[in-house]
Amino acid sequence: MRVTQSMLSNNMIRNISNSYEKLAKLQEQILTQKKFSKPSDDPVAAMMGMNYRTSLNQVEQYSRNISEATNWVESTDSALGQAVSALQRMRELTVQASNGTYESDQRDSVNEEIKQLRQHLVDIGDTQLGGKYIFNGYDTNKRPSDTMVDGAPSYGTDEIQVEVFTGIKIPINTSGQSTFGEALKTGGTIDQLMESLKSTDEADITNRLAELDEMINVFIKEQAKVGAKQNRIDLMTDRVGQQEVFAQKILSSNEDVDMEKVILDFTTQESVHTAALSVGAKVIQPSLLDFLR
Amino acid sequence: MVSTFMGLETSKRALSVAQSALYTTGHNVANANTPGYSRQRVNLSATESFPSPALNSPRIAGQLGTGVEAGSIQRIRDSFLDSQYRSQSSKVGYYSSLSESLTKMEEILNDPSESGLLNTMNNFWGSLEDLTTNTDNIGARAVVASSGQMVAETLNYYYNALTSVQEDLRYQIGVEQSGINTIISNIQSINEKISKVEPHGYVPNDLYDERDTLVDQLSQFVNVKVSTVFPEKYGIVDKAAAEGLYNIELIQEDGSSYMPPINLISVNHTGIVGANTIEVQTDSATGAVSGVKIGGTMLQEYKFAGALTGLIESAGYVADGTVKGAYPDMLQKLNDMTEAFVNEFNYVHSQGFVVGEPPTNGGKFFEITDGKNAAQTIKVNADIIKDPSLIASGGKSNAAGDNENAHHLAAIKSKDFTQYESGNIPAGLNGTFDTYYAGVIGNLGVDSASVQKDHSNAQILATSVDKNRQSVSAVSLDEEMTDMVRYQQAYNAAARMVTLVDEMLDRIINGMGTGGR
Repeated sequence: MRVTQSMLSNNMIRNISNSYEKLAKLQEQILTQKKFSKPSDDPVAAMMGMNYRTSLNQVEQYSRNISEATNWVESTDSALGQAVSALQRMRELTVQASNGTYESDQRDSVNEEIKQLRQHLVDIGDTQLGGKYIFNGYDTNKRPSDTMVDGAPSYGTDEIQVEVFTGIKIPINTSGQSTFGEALKTGGTIDQLMESLKSTDEADITNRLAELDEMINVFIKEQAKVGAKQNRIDLMTDRVGQQEVFAQKILSSNEDVDMEKVILDFTTQESVHTAALSVGAKVIQPSLLDFLR
Repeated sequence: MVSTFMGLETSKRALSVAQSALYTTGHNVANANTPGYSRQRVNLSATESFPSPALNSPRIAGQLGTGVEAGSIQRIRDSFLDSQYRSQSSKVGYYSSLSESLTKMEEILNDPSESGLLNTMNNFWGSLEDLTTNTDNIGARAVVASSGQMVAETLNYYYNALTSVQEDLRYQIGVEQSGINTIISNIQSINEKISKVEPHGYVPNDLYDERDTLVDQLSQFVNVKVSTVFPEKYGIVDKAAAEGLYNIELIQEDGSSYMPPINLISVNHTGIVGANTIEVQTDSATGAVSGVKIGGTMLQEYKFAGALTGLIESAGYVADGTVKGAYPDMLQKLNDMTEAFVNEFNYVHSQGFVVGEPPTNGGKFFEITDGKNAAQTIKVNADIIKDPSLIASGGKSNAAGDNENAHHLAAIKSKDFTQYESGNIPAGLNGTFDTYYAGVIGNLGVDSASVQKDHSNAQILATSVDKNRQSVSAVSLDEEMTDMVRYQQAYNAAARMVTLVDEMLDRIINGMGTGGR
């Protein structure tokens, strides 16, 4: 093949510009830390990347939801615990009052303390979490003790559900109706106890003890349910946490560059480029003219 | 007997031929870097020897050579390589304009990235999930409204940026049309000049080069077939070196002719017939290309390859009453998915309840202008932006903590288009909104990658054909230098011959006839 100077120099320019192109690509990979910048660089990886990204986002969202659910469950648990201690204090007082040695003014002061404890239960039923009343079903913006039905606070019964994983929803609230609602209702155990304390019939007061025990049991059962829910949420937290690590890993292995490899490639390409430049410079310089006469 | 001065004549011929060979070498060296220039060569041939056989020719022993003549000056070029190069060049033009416009599209859609639609959508879905846990929080609601706004703005941006590139492409079609027509008229005028020179026996090499360069340029825009024609009554033509007139035919991508053939420049046995211009016609309603008119022929399929086809296929053309092409298709997909998504979202939103008294169903969350492009006009209802409490999060009631409808809204993320309850889904939509869009981006990536690959393949082939062409036609300075030495020595030797004949004549004239003096 006949080769001319212009062919040599065109060739050289083309090869050098190809070499620059490769360098630019590697440089971009190093700077962005990504294997591709446009879908056409690697269509399959780009599409997978979009799906992985979506699932990573989802998992992150679930872990946000779970922490919100944890807040609710923990607040509910502690509120129920406080309620149980208030009721136990009530029981202690009732046991004391059932003792025949108590004078009527002593019973009055016991009655006064029980009244305060009852108010304390009402306050616990109004527990707020971030401005939301947690025992009032959907009506999280309404104070249960503001909506009196038959002289006692009423509590919403709707379940507030939170999605903690694809297709898995956990009700995060506990209705106050079966616990606080029952305890505080007009003519309920506490009302009757306060009535009984006004009388002098010790046997009547003793009868109330059984009812109080039942009441405490209701609260404790509810607390146990909340505990079970918390366990479930803890398990979910672990699972979502693992998922998050996994999703991040798969996303990263799909699109992040292997730094050592890229740097090595870059160094190789750099030496190829230098060699191309120096060989090119040597080839295009001499001509026959240099040797004639 | 030969003439006394015959030796002088022979040497004179050698001198003038060596001179013209040297001048041609000079011309080659001067044009070593001229684009499209082919090296020229003086065709040397020995002149008729003396005596020529005839009835009354003188009788001498043997025939004496009479020297050299420059038969013609010819450019060294292989027209077969030219036609190979041109068919590749039309492919390079086609794929380069297509890959350029697809790359622009990828840059606009900018996915996967932190700022693409997919990420914006993810933020939006996330804000809806956050709403399910914080229905009474006005901040969470405001985030839903503003991330919805971001989704709408991203779609608006995509639509507007794509249409503005589409406008540019259409403008470029106009520019290329006039470029093609200028090239055609230039080739035509060179054809005319050649037709005036060739009948006189001259070989206008530099005009040929100029004409071939123009045809090379033309072949980037459209695929052409060149045939050379010598009209009858053309006079005396140096058939060995003359190339005749170019008849340029528009051909299809696969190299076949149109039926009947479409000539951009037509020349036949009677001489130059004329040139046609290309006129790209657009549909006034859609702005898409509705046909390409060449002379009296209207083409409505764009199979002539080259950059013009690439541009038409990118910017959009009318086929079977609908607008097709890379950009119109993408805009259509964006519109379809936006419309289906907006209808479904609004439908689910209208099933829920707004917080507060009296119980009211949700209004429109997104708004699109009816009968217009959904992706271009989508926006979040201004009332919702002003008062995010209008987001219908309640499923059963207007209570602040009811998050059922917020769940339903967030669940649209994983709903297939076929499960949409709003009905009326544009054809071709499948999967969820996110997976459909990811598919669109994936397809774009695949298309763009394959066009880029085709482009680089065509480029490599064209480069290799061009290398072969250069190998034949390009000026080699070493070679010219050698020729220079060769012809200079020939010139010197011929001059020495003149001196020799001069000395011989001197002997005859001044040295003879003085015997015994």
